[in-house]
Amino acid sequence: MTSDPLLKVSNLTKTYTGSPSVIGRLLGRKPVNVRAVSDVSLTVARGEILGLIGESGCGKSTLGRAILRLHEPSSGRVEFAGTDVTALSAPDMKAMRRRMQIIFQDPYASLNPRRTVSDIVGLPLQLHGLAQSRSELRDKVAMMLEKVGLKAGQLDRYPHQFSGGQRQRIGIARALISNPEFVVCDEPVSALDVSIQAQIIQLLQDLKREFQLTYLFISHDISVIGYLSDRVAVMYLGEIVEMGPVDSVLSRPRHPYTQSLMSAVPEIEPSGKAQRVRLTGDLPSPLNPPAGCKFHTRCPLATDICRVRKPVTETVAQGHTAACHRLDENLSLLEGASA
Amino acid sequence: MSADILLEVRGLRTVFDTRAGQVCAVDGVDVTVNRGECLGIVGESGSGKSVTFASVMGLVRVPGRIEAGEIVFDGIDLRKLSAKKMQAMRGRDIAMTMQDALTALNPALTVGEQLAEMLAAHADDLPPGRMARRAAIRARAIEMLTRVGIPSAGERLGQYPHEFSGGMRQRIMIALALAAKPRLLIADEPTTALDVTIQAQVLELISALRAEFGMSVVLITHDLGVVAQHCDRVMVMYAGQVVEEGPTAQVIRQPRHPYTQGLLASIPRPARRGQPIRPIQGQVPELVNLPPQCRFLERCPLADDACRHPIDMRPAGPERRARCIRITTPDIEKGLSHDI
Repeated sequence: MTSDPLLKVSNLTKTYTGSPSVIGRLLGRKPVNVRAVSDVSLTVARGEILGLIGESGCGKSTLGRAILRLHEPSSGRVEFAGTDVTALSAPDMKAMRRRMQIIFQDPYASLNPRRTVSDIVGLPLQLHGLAQSRSELRDKVAMMLEKVGLKAGQLDRYPHQFSGGQRQRIGIARALISNPEFVVCDEPVSALDVSIQAQIIQLLQDLKREFQLTYLFISHDISVIGYLSDRVAVMYLGEIVEMGPVDSVLSRPRHPYTQSLMSAVPEIEPSGKAQRVRLTGDLPSPLNPPAGCKFHTRCPLATDICRVRKPVTETVAQGHTAACHRLDENLSLLEGASA
Repeated sequence: MSADILLEVRGLRTVFDTRAGQVCAVDGVDVTVNRGECLGIVGESGSGKSVTFASVMGLVRVPGRIEAGEIVFDGIDLRKLSAKKMQAMRGRDIAMTMQDALTALNPALTVGEQLAEMLAAHADDLPPGRMARRAAIRARAIEMLTRVGIPSAGERLGQYPHEFSGGMRQRIMIALALAAKPRLLIADEPTTALDVTIQAQVLELISALRAEFGMSVVLITHDLGVVAQHCDRVMVMYAGQVVEEGPTAQVIRQPRHPYTQGLLASIPRPARRGQPIRPIQGQVPELVNLPPQCRFLERCPLADDACRHPIDMRPAGPERRARCIRITTPDIEKGLSHDI
């Protein structure tokens, strides 16, 4: 790892504007803004896996896509290998995408059902001019298929002829064929059965070693993130509430949301020592996020200040940051202090 | 012992006739559910866990049919019941919640109407007289929604399913299933579509209501963690058959079937970071025209020619059974997860 991060995201914000319905417009309603990602800063070092965890609707996928400019960021900067990606022109961005790729969650929806595997996996080669001839393209695709555990003889098949795990392998082959340096893995194993999930995790680890990749690994599964990542970032309602080395964050989570997230995961071998923390209620609507600390509506530790003032991000240990008003008090929901 | 048994399924075989041939989704499955217990059913997609309980509920439709087996609920053979009698049992005595609450609830009726329909059909302690009856149903509906943790239940009775969040819809399903205070609740993947913090709320709700109503629960899931925390006993299914069953803690601590061992080794755990993960190789076999042999054979590291025969469940310790002829070999004893 070099000291310069491969990816540096600064104050990234993504706002979606929803236009009101016809009736709403007649009534003079204003468009609504949803801040899906709000002022997020993070870095990913070369060769590292940064795990991004959060519940549905917290903005983790939007963040992954905004980094690749698949969804244009509203403000903020994304630097990749020293280049400001957000300032690139469309053709330059297209060239940059050879180096920054994505693996999608749903292996059914993310592959064109009317294209063969050779077309799907070969497309990045065509787009980036990486194959001089049709036969070179097919050779390269065949080689890539074998790397991801499929057979070269399956080149001319269609996605529906494969199982879910095999389709995810096709998606991985497509992401890696242009030889990228950085891959956003957007819940790549969430749709798969446990035994197949393990196969894909193993494949992603092997490929990372072989191609010296850097991953932003998005998941809602703390076990997968804890097993795979070097560092982890926890998102809640569009913000990163805690971030740091996996060992530090999982063994000593400081934000009450991280603590409750961890205690909610059903452990296979119940240790007995973990205090159970129960959050009440659902995630608030991002259309109308709570004032102050966004977690205060569900936080067992919330006090008056949490309802009015947004907490700043503080360093709590080596490379470990958290944003909570009550960090100084060293409270933990997991040990004793019952909710 | 037999007085404690609420549901007993013997030799259940449910098949689907397809153009490719006969798919045997459930093949010779035995299930015993004791009164008041929570039984976990674990398996991956296509293992037959949902079809087994759809068969119990009498919900298998053409092209599927139950080919053989006995389903005895509290002394009554459900397969011999008339459609009308079965209809009366469903909901009142045995209730099932479906995985996808949005498609299982009727989008065109309010939550209150759906609860009222359930109560009107099954609750027998309603007062006489139309007005009194309606008032009692409404009060009971509010009580049920409150019990499952839906705030301001009175106002929300008039809302439609799409106006609720995913976690709330799953609670409504549970409220519907519990409205007639059934003796057995079958919860089919009740939390698969939910976030972990909401999942924990829903599972704890089911546990609390189980204790309160003294009912039995069958929890169908693919998540061994959920089973570890909530179920007394567990049954592991693979390709239409039960491959292992026993008390949850023992099965998880010392799995005896190579599939259960592989499943446990497949789960990524933060404590094992840096160590290679050991997935089960290959895929679940197609269920069409399966050869008469161990169904895990193609993926099993211990398989040999002796496995090319139909394998029966056999004792694997106190209150435990497994479908493997190698149960007593040292490899199994050590646990494959540690030395593949």
